[in-house]
Amino acid sequence: MRSIAEINDKIERRQAVVRTVEEVKAQVAEVGIAQTAKEVDVVTTGTFEPMESSGAILNLGQTDPPIKIRQCWIDGVPAYAGFGAVDLYLGASQAVEYSGTTDLNDIEEVREGAEARVRQRGGGHVIEELIAGRSVPLRAVGQVTDCYPRASFETTISQNTINQFYLFNPRNLYQNFIVGVNGGDRALFTYLGPLQPRLGNAVYSNPGAISPLLNDPDLELVGIGTRVFLGGAIGYVAWEGTQHFPLQKRLPNRTPIGPAATLALVGNAKYMNPKWVRGCYLRGYGPSLMLGVGIPLPVLTEAVIAHCSVQDQDLVAPVVDFSIPRRVRPTFGLVSYAQLKSGKLIIDGKSVRVAPLASIYLSRQVATELKHWIEQGAFMLTEPVASIPNDRTFIPQDMRGS
Amino acid sequence: MPVTYRLAKDFNVAANIIRAQVAPNQIGKLVVELLGDIDQLDAAIEWMRSQDITVSFASRELVIDEETCVDCGLCTGVCPTEALTLDPQSFKLTFTRSRCIVCEQCIPTCPVQAISTNF
Repeated sequence: MRSIAEINDKIERRQAVVRTVEEVKAQVAEVGIAQTAKEVDVVTTGTFEPMESSGAILNLGQTDPPIKIRQCWIDGVPAYAGFGAVDLYLGASQAVEYSGTTDLNDIEEVREGAEARVRQRGGGHVIEELIAGRSVPLRAVGQVTDCYPRASFETTISQNTINQFYLFNPRNLYQNFIVGVNGGDRALFTYLGPLQPRLGNAVYSNPGAISPLLNDPDLELVGIGTRVFLGGAIGYVAWEGTQHFPLQKRLPNRTPIGPAATLALVGNAKYMNPKWVRGCYLRGYGPSLMLGVGIPLPVLTEAVIAHCSVQDQDLVAPVVDFSIPRRVRPTFGLVSYAQLKSGKLIIDGKSVRVAPLASIYLSRQVATELKHWIEQGAFMLTEPVASIPNDRTFIPQDMRGS
Repeated sequence: MPVTYRLAKDFNVAANIIRAQVAPNQIGKLVVELLGDIDQLDAAIEWMRSQDITVSFASRELVIDEETCVDCGLCTGVCPTEALTLDPQSFKLTFTRSRCIVCEQCIPTCPVQAISTNF
């Protein structure tokens, strides 16, 4: 139908027809798949949701005398230092470490106190601060060697005072996820937020039909090297994500019925915007990072538009009971995203309130922003360098011999 | 009159002073949060009124910082009165103040700490 080179040529001449995936769905409903595929060159998708398997690589530049950092705290949040001398990795879900005797598991006791507010900070918040251009304190402890004689170092850093500052996220962009409920009799504090007892509420965390990978279900368009919108800047698909599970059961429309493909993303945080990279905290669970990610889908064939035409009623997720704290939790079956977005579910004959954890409002803005970039010729499409594997099994970690 | 002392001594009611504007020999104004047994609280308020103290109930209100809010909607699932809802079209958070009972469950639920009370 058209090649990526041809689309890029049109983008350069600012003649590319770019539509958000929601516009495409509406257009397909009106004029059909064939006509839409003829007219549209690029479809933009987007999501804005917590992605806790995210983190930032930082290189400080050497001190004089130099230091081989072994332990490091950035604004009180521990950063991993087991690399070369002044390379650091700051994980989004790393909680702040503070001087106190409270055990990390005594969250209940400190939740309402002043300490709770401190604890609510984590790597995600520090990453947001740095992206916003603010300065944060850094404390480092070094291993004294003949190469690196300095034993400790304290300073203040900002994105302008360090060499590299880029996000390297091992697991982003879950292709579908689960719906959390709590069938037990006490409140649970989960990575999906608070789940109230006796099916008091339900939470889903994928924005459904607008979500990038639900519109390219077999990852035929997205691969290693694909240029994406990451946190308000240009990013790239680096690899398959951790827990990438393309073999998840799928509907006839090829979309998975639960968590499936994931992607590892990388992008220069110095160009990112704090609007799209937000530290967050899930009560009783811990800190995380909300991230805006958008993927452009080139309309190479009619099948691309066919995949992009899935609606919320064509997509499902499993309702999972978090009251059983095991790897495999019981489910209440599958529900459609149309049901989820209505705000009410019927589970076991009971009407349950449903709330999203992904911001559908901001997901749409990501798709719209990416559309503008492409229209303005500021974002060119890429051919994937290699495909994301489609045959990864999901290996559980069981003790040997058990 | 040592109002807060009497509240504590006679009614076992803790008065947390939030705002105070008191000058000698003039009418003053005290904003307090009262904590105690519900019957004792009623008795304490009745006693204050009997002392010609005008008692009115300040309504604590929720404040949503729109700059901070990301419109994720997580709060809508814990709001018992549907004061917090997502607009079915735009999926933007809408707050219907008249429905809010200030149960405050949304405050710790908000992942970006965008909700607070105005006291």
